[in-house]
Amino acid sequence: MIIKKPSIFIYTNDADEDFLREICAGIEEEGVFYEVIPRENANLDTLAFEAAKDSMMGSGIGIKYVDAALQMRGIPKGRNVEVYHMPTYEQCRKLGANSARAIKKMPFK
Amino acid sequence: MKLVAGVDIGNSTTEVCIGERTDDGRIRFLTSASRTTTGTKGTVANIHGIKAALKLAMSKIGRDVSEIRLVRLNEAAPVIGDTAMETLTETVITDSSMIGHNPSTPAGAGQAVGELLSIKNIGRAVPGTPYIFVVPKQYSYEKVASAINQAAGHLDIEGVILQADEAVLVYNRLEKKIPIIDEVAYIDKVPDGQLAAIEVALAGQTIRMLSNPYGIATLLQLDADETKAVTPIAKSLIGKRSAVVIKTPNGNIRENVLPAGEIYLEASKNTKINLDEGAEKIMQAVADAGNIHDITGQVNTNVGNMLARIKQGMSSISKEQHGEIRITDILAVDTLAPVLISGALAGETCLEKAVGIAAMVKTQQLPMQKIAEKLRADLNTEVVVAGVEAVMASLGALTTPGTKLPLAILDMGGGSTDAAVINERGQVIMTHQAGAGELVSMLIQTELGLADRHTAEQIKKYPLAKVESLFHMRMENGQMTFVDESIDPRFYGRVVLLAESGLIRLEEDIPMEKIVQVRRDAKRKVFITNAFRALKKVAPDHDLKNISNVVLVGGSAEDFEIPEMLMEQFANYRIVCGRGNIRGSEGPRNAVATGLVLSYRGEQR
Repeated sequence: MIIKKPSIFIYTNDADEDFLREICAGIEEEGVFYEVIPRENANLDTLAFEAAKDSMMGSGIGIKYVDAALQMRGIPKGRNVEVYHMPTYEQCRKLGANSARAIKKMPFK
Repeated sequence: MKLVAGVDIGNSTTEVCIGERTDDGRIRFLTSASRTTTGTKGTVANIHGIKAALKLAMSKIGRDVSEIRLVRLNEAAPVIGDTAMETLTETVITDSSMIGHNPSTPAGAGQAVGELLSIKNIGRAVPGTPYIFVVPKQYSYEKVASAINQAAGHLDIEGVILQADEAVLVYNRLEKKIPIIDEVAYIDKVPDGQLAAIEVALAGQTIRMLSNPYGIATLLQLDADETKAVTPIAKSLIGKRSAVVIKTPNGNIRENVLPAGEIYLEASKNTKINLDEGAEKIMQAVADAGNIHDITGQVNTNVGNMLARIKQGMSSISKEQHGEIRITDILAVDTLAPVLISGALAGETCLEKAVGIAAMVKTQQLPMQKIAEKLRADLNTEVVVAGVEAVMASLGALTTPGTKLPLAILDMGGGSTDAAVINERGQVIMTHQAGAGELVSMLIQTELGLADRHTAEQIKKYPLAKVESLFHMRMENGQMTFVDESIDPRFYGRVVLLAESGLIRLEEDIPMEKIVQVRRDAKRKVFITNAFRALKKVAPDHDLKNISNVVLVGGSAEDFEIPEMLMEQFANYRIVCGRGNIRGSEGPRNAVATGLVLSYRGEQR
């Protein structure tokens, strides 16, 4: 039996380190687990879509260079819940917090 | 074949009904429409709304307004409703001494006592003294955690108060776990060097020590007198998930009672009553006073200013002299309003006692003739002012299937609740009461602390649901609804209103159950009180038992729960009560306009 923690998946492709750190902090503050998995040759929509699909909790984040997107399972590829180009640190925190709130069924920030 | 239009100008909507007189003298109804009233009821500004409504009605049957041969306006009752709200108590914290709030993610659990110490003064700390760290938001969670971890060896740090939303982040990086409270907005107001107690509740619980006066006394070592003084603090912290109480030398929290003032009833029996006595006593005084000529308030008090403001507002829109405007009825309702505590540190509110008042202002006869003349010139057709509103409403209500004379109608509009009884001989007794839909909106707005009236209006009108996933939501009655197409993520986890046009998101973070309760209470307080008040006035011998049928008409009768609430209440009196269905098709609206067209047939005979 494979035992895996229920976590939010973050698929990255050459992601900006600072943005990634702040997004993770946003998730951590909400008390939810996450896993960062590097991918190659994928676009932002695909990263986010696949992350949400593969996450046991149905919540995923894609980060490519300085773009970040939040996706939830059941939403078609490309219709990201939230998407930012060059987000501020505050927006990164919010994106992370919202991905956790999606699981906790709480209103987004 | 002559087209006749009935036009009813109400406080909030203008309704029209168009009928055709056939060759044998009967009336055949063709179409109807409703539009928002433009300007104050009974002023020439109404013309715009009337024309828009006529145009809309005629376009429904593919004909032009110019084909109308006769327009019949209602002799609108010269009463206009208005509402006002005043708080009676206020809570003031001098020398800020408490923070009790619900950050969504505090960390750690338990309580801690210590001297408050700003992180920038960490060098001044001495071993052996317990401290509570105070950290403004420019310090990152990593810095805070490492500073505390380093100091832990020689200093005694018991708890942390953060300005940023980072409690969990700091907590996860601490070697020795301590309770942490975050999202304290006004952290610069937390005084350095004072003794403070903090508490974070266990998951799923609320705080226990700081919401108990003896708990505070235990933690801060208070004597009996001081314990008595902190009781209001403990009271206001009940139900919170985290709290801070600071012991300040001169700190105090006080509940002030504002000088509310007296209401003077100028009536067949002059009376006065103090606003403090509460809504029930005020309404009793109003009922006992008999015919009321005018109502005023004590000068320079809350109620005096409130009533003066209503009159002032009315005189400026209706352009009448101040002295000619009289308040002939009021409806007072007790309520609680969340008010920001002055001196609080994290934007806490306290529920203050308040009273909402709807007043009905009697003006001189409304200048309906002026409207008729202007409309005659604009439409180039015959316009007459015909019939009294209540009579027309009764006539219209009689077109509801299953009704017969004698009949009572209850017209629940936006500004006033009107009742009329029409007997077999066609005699009508009527009354106008202050307080209707607009007062309900105001109560909802106040009790939920909403920023604008529009949201309150929507909460009044539509049932609620909570979006629980992207594919389903739970209705306020517990039922689940699933959707094929995913719900917009903006609605995710939110309480929404189910409007005809789709979902409306509520920005405020208030539990659905609370909104439902406030909404239903507001409707009950206003409409049930008023329905009984109004019907008692018009009932033969002022006894409700002498009424057998009540038809509910007007905008508020369309509401999804008010008619049911009234039905339940009237069932005790064996009264048949229900929402009207004008002409068997219009629902509770359009009664007056329909009555106006019908009365034309009567006049022709």
